[in-house]
Amino acid sequence: MKPFDFARPETIEDAVAMLDARPAGHANGSALLAGGTDLLTLMKADLSAPDRLIDIKRLAELDNRIEEDEEGLTIGALVTLAQLEEDPRVTALYPALAEASSLAATPQLRHMATIGGNLLQRPRCWYFRNPHVHCWLKGGDECQARQGENQRHAIFDISPCVAVHPSDPATALLALDATVRLRGAAGERELPIADFFAPPTAERCTETIIRGDELIVAVRLPAAQGWRSTYLKAMDRKVWAFALVGVAAALRVDEGRVIDARLALGGVAPIPWRAEAAERLLAGSDISAEVISHAAEAALDGAQPLAKNAYKILLAKALVRRALMALSG
Amino acid sequence: MEPSRHLPVTLSVNGSQYPILIEPRRTLLDALRHDLGLTGAKKVCDMGDCGACTVIVDGKAMYACLLLAVDCDDREITTIEGLATGNELDPVQEAFIRADAFQCGFCTSGQIMSLRALLDANPEPDDDQILRAVTGNLCRCGAYPNILKAGRLAADLQAQAASNGQ
Amino acid sequence: MPEIRVKPKQGENGTELELIEDEGVRAWAPDADLQIVGQPHPRLEGREKVTGRARYASDVRLPGQLYARVLRSPYPHARIVSVDIGKAEQAPGVRAVIHAGNVPRIPWYEEGVLFESTVRFVGDEIAAVAAESEEQAEDALRLIEVEYEPLPFVSTIEEALAPDAPWVHDDGNIAGEPKTYERGDPDAGLRDADVTIDAAYSTASALHNAFESHGCTTFWDGDSLTLWDSTQAIFVIREQVAEKLGLPEHRVRVVKHHMGGGFGAKQIAWKHDVIASLLSRQAGRPVQLMLDREAENLAAGNRNPTRQRVRLGARRDGTLTAIVADIHQASGAYRTGGEASNVSGTYQTLYNCPNVRTEQVAVYTNTGPAVAFRAPGHVEAAFALEQAMDELARTLEMDPVKLRRQNYSEVDQLEGKPFTLPEGLRLSYDRVADAFGWGAEKPPPSSESKRRGVGFAAHDWSGGTGHPPGYAWIELNADGTADVITGTQDIGTGTRTGLAQVAAEELGLPLDCIAFRLGDTATGPYSPVSSGSATQATIGPAVRAAAAEVKAQLLEVASSVLEVGADRLSVRAGRILVDGDEERSIAVSAVTEKIRPHTLQGRGARGPNPEDKTIRTFGAQCVELEVDIETGEIDRLRIAAAHDCGRIVNPTLVDSQVVGGITQGVGFALTEERTVDPRLGLVLNANLEEYHVPTVADAPAIEHARVGVPDSEANSTGAKGIGEPPLIPTAPAIANAVYDAIGIRFREGPLSRARVVAALAEQRAQGEGSRP
Repeated sequence: MKPFDFARPETIEDAVAMLDARPAGHANGSALLAGGTDLLTLMKADLSAPDRLIDIKRLAELDNRIEEDEEGLTIGALVTLAQLEEDPRVTALYPALAEASSLAATPQLRHMATIGGNLLQRPRCWYFRNPHVHCWLKGGDECQARQGENQRHAIFDISPCVAVHPSDPATALLALDATVRLRGAAGERELPIADFFAPPTAERCTETIIRGDELIVAVRLPAAQGWRSTYLKAMDRKVWAFALVGVAAALRVDEGRVIDARLALGGVAPIPWRAEAAERLLAGSDISAEVISHAAEAALDGAQPLAKNAYKILLAKALVRRALMALSG
Repeated sequence: MEPSRHLPVTLSVNGSQYPILIEPRRTLLDALRHDLGLTGAKKVCDMGDCGACTVIVDGKAMYACLLLAVDCDDREITTIEGLATGNELDPVQEAFIRADAFQCGFCTSGQIMSLRALLDANPEPDDDQILRAVTGNLCRCGAYPNILKAGRLAADLQAQAASNGQ
Repeated sequence: MPEIRVKPKQGENGTELELIEDEGVRAWAPDADLQIVGQPHPRLEGREKVTGRARYASDVRLPGQLYARVLRSPYPHARIVSVDIGKAEQAPGVRAVIHAGNVPRIPWYEEGVLFESTVRFVGDEIAAVAAESEEQAEDALRLIEVEYEPLPFVSTIEEALAPDAPWVHDDGNIAGEPKTYERGDPDAGLRDADVTIDAAYSTASALHNAFESHGCTTFWDGDSLTLWDSTQAIFVIREQVAEKLGLPEHRVRVVKHHMGGGFGAKQIAWKHDVIASLLSRQAGRPVQLMLDREAENLAAGNRNPTRQRVRLGARRDGTLTAIVADIHQASGAYRTGGEASNVSGTYQTLYNCPNVRTEQVAVYTNTGPAVAFRAPGHVEAAFALEQAMDELARTLEMDPVKLRRQNYSEVDQLEGKPFTLPEGLRLSYDRVADAFGWGAEKPPPSSESKRRGVGFAAHDWSGGTGHPPGYAWIELNADGTADVITGTQDIGTGTRTGLAQVAAEELGLPLDCIAFRLGDTATGPYSPVSSGSATQATIGPAVRAAAAEVKAQLLEVASSVLEVGADRLSVRAGRILVDGDEERSIAVSAVTEKIRPHTLQGRGARGPNPEDKTIRTFGAQCVELEVDIETGEIDRLRIAAAHDCGRIVNPTLVDSQVVGGITQGVGFALTEERTVDPRLGLVLNANLEEYHVPTVADAPAIEHARVGVPDSEANSTGAKGIGEPPLIPTAPAIANAVYDAIGIRFREGPLSRARVVAALAEQRAQGEGSRP
């Protein structure tokens, strides 16, 4: 890690002001420190070298609680994955999120990692993470994974970058129709998580649309009455690996008929991937093995595997079928 | 190059206060091992991929390699060195010896701290909870079955000690 | 005094001399009534390890200690045009910077030097810094300016062998002479066979990932150097470091109290040993240099990847008529001298076959140097041979265990000598088949999408035999306790405990009367490298010989005290017993106190291995598992293992080696694979995030069916090694079980999720394609 200053602002406003400001000698800007489980790995690999870390864990206004009201659940940005895994409201009403959290990383990391940081984590692509590779996502000319060892990479080609988004909870939140509340110099805004994530572009080499002066203050989930959900994850070993494929499914079923469906895939694209064609196919259908099978096909419609990751299509279809079977059973 | 930027921090480790002057970039693991001379927590991957540096922070098992020491100034930290009382081992430590739950011993501190944190939160864990508690602690020697046995034995030893104490 | 003979032997550098030292004891009878040897006992160092007090190389803290970091090549192949350390030297906290320009040209590897002018793999050493803190050392590395002239490179065996391949070294890409072996007429054996198998296998490079990285803490006192090193071989390090630095051996002290795993990669002096020593001398301060995880995985050894074409010929009844193996292995950029990966060996020895040919070609690639990794060569070969045997069994519609029994060898076919325990492998077959329930009906799979399979694999291993010489000293103190001193090392296997049990047994003392001291060249006598599963079998007899010498003296003294002939006396559980007169038994301490402050001292030397027989270790494993044909997940692993390691000195320790070896075998079978981008020459997973070693949830259910038949002709304790063997048959047994479950043969390892799902899809596509 390169040297940096350490600041502990009193208020969100101060934190935002610090993010916005670039004092002399701060050419690399500031970074927010919450759980640190992603940031420190980036800094240790010299992929990120902020001049200042802004510790936001102790901000009184920034919440580490989960609050329930009529409109749903508000998850403070500092809520840890361990809290999401264990909270009885989450496990009862939003099982996909609890399951995704419990399948992520390890107990130690789940105690440390916050939901805000989890949504903002950078890809685990082994080219991106290698200090010797100047890849496209780091401002280089080429995505080396495209012609390289891409067995763990994207099958939906939506960006010059083919890294996959590493978050399990993000996939679940997408299927649960969450919104993300941001605070920045221009005030607060809230947007659907589907709009919060966006594939990296030449102008914005990140996976979200968050602005440099913004931080996540909360994630909100709509009321879950009538919904069932689940999250399945395929890994290279039994635990403690990033998803080869993750599938979050949420269904509202009434007497065997799907009223509404949401399906999201992880490990397949630079951002959590919404399978809208499959959702449309499911909505209004009488759930059956055949419908599920069609939905699984539809979910992977448009996938364009790279040389070494066609297996992900089959794996994803299998998980989609399995998740939908579990919810319809 | 700019002069190094040091900050005063007081770490509370195993019940003792340690005022130290450190760079913000110093991890809790390095502060423990270098500034405090507590070398029980091990540096293996330094990237949160192995579990050998596991310590208990405010009651929860965490990786010391991914915490900044400056970020720990108001937190209660317990390391492997803080478990035994005098010459008397913690039940988890005792169980690790009896169950032969290690070979080289390099992951052992971390394994023990994870199980200590589990038993603090849940004195009567089931087998699945014991397994889950050490999913974040790799053991390259492959002592896993005995680590699980040690977790079970530690819970029993602790329960016995508690009932004897009453 | 034991008798010493001098005998000429053919050494690598012409004729040398071998000392033949009489151990002075006869082997324990197989049914000897032993009290301590054979009993389970917790590790003696347990308390240190569970309290965090066990001191490893990286835990050494000396006054004024500096921390070192090494600048490594970012290119797989490049000429170093220039190195400028000016800025680094001026950086805060920096106390020493070394590189090719300011240190002697110390010879290294074959023709090379410590800091090469041409770097040959990503991770090759270029310069090093010692500073007041690790962070400052890292800062200084960033300030070293190196100009590189990148050169073309090769990453894989195939690339290295291509006709127009760039050369890793000036003399090409073939590393050393190809090793060829032939007996009988293999071509005729194939021609005359009723059934043949011809299949190509490949194994990946596996990374040791011992939890403690390579490294050391060094300290100079005048012209004397001390290294606290993470090593399997303190005397090898002493000899090699002394040679590299031009020091006499008595001025180099190597200490290793505990080590966080080595698995074969820590048996030679690596560059960091000398780099740390040079930095320490330049700075005049102690220096600690521990490799970080990336460097550990790039530059401190790996299991060589292999390509193996295997041809088997057999008669209808399963009798092998030919075994032919064409083997390529990648040594990486340099031959370390510790690679010793004899992939050919098991083809030549495991099965009885008159016609065998092996050819083993090592190639250089621009990747980190390979080094021994737990049963080097045999692990790679078993993946191929034991799958080929399974393919043969299926072709013959023969039970795979029966096929192996049909080709049983009781003799060492290389030397024409019988084995010391010729039934070792047969006992393994019997015990493992029995424990596993081989041949019993498979239980149904746990769900509809799953298929259950069983698989079998056998192995032999040339290790576990003991590597004489090795020495031990024992001092029986006046209070009846004993210090046992050797120059061996406990690499995490429990050596202290197993050897202390041998000492206690022979001395007739309880185990808690023994202090076992090892791991320091300054205090213990010579002992060889802890590799080849050799330590118990090498040092055990030396310890026993020393103990026997002490015991003889003790009985002599007791004879005076008790006024009974020494021939009527024995020692057991800390008491001197008089034959036929129980009443007169007295405590050992009652005897030794009479001579205080005298002590009794014994010296033991490990004598040679038998000349007329070959010592070998054997084993076999059965695997049951499930494969999910939709998701490719391999699950519910159940493994039974039986291994002939001679007498079991401590079942706790042996069980632990078996379980640990199998667990690494599961990793080798399913997930462990160094991934190199051939366009960039970069290792992409030189870390524990993307290089997946098994977690607790991946550990299989293991039943160890102990064999435990003493091999009394092997050495005086009857014990052989068990450190390496359990890893050897695991991966092929798993692959055979996967075939049994889903009918897909994985000839390329590991059987990763990606490979299994892809193969299932291909199988399904072919199935659909072949439908009418």
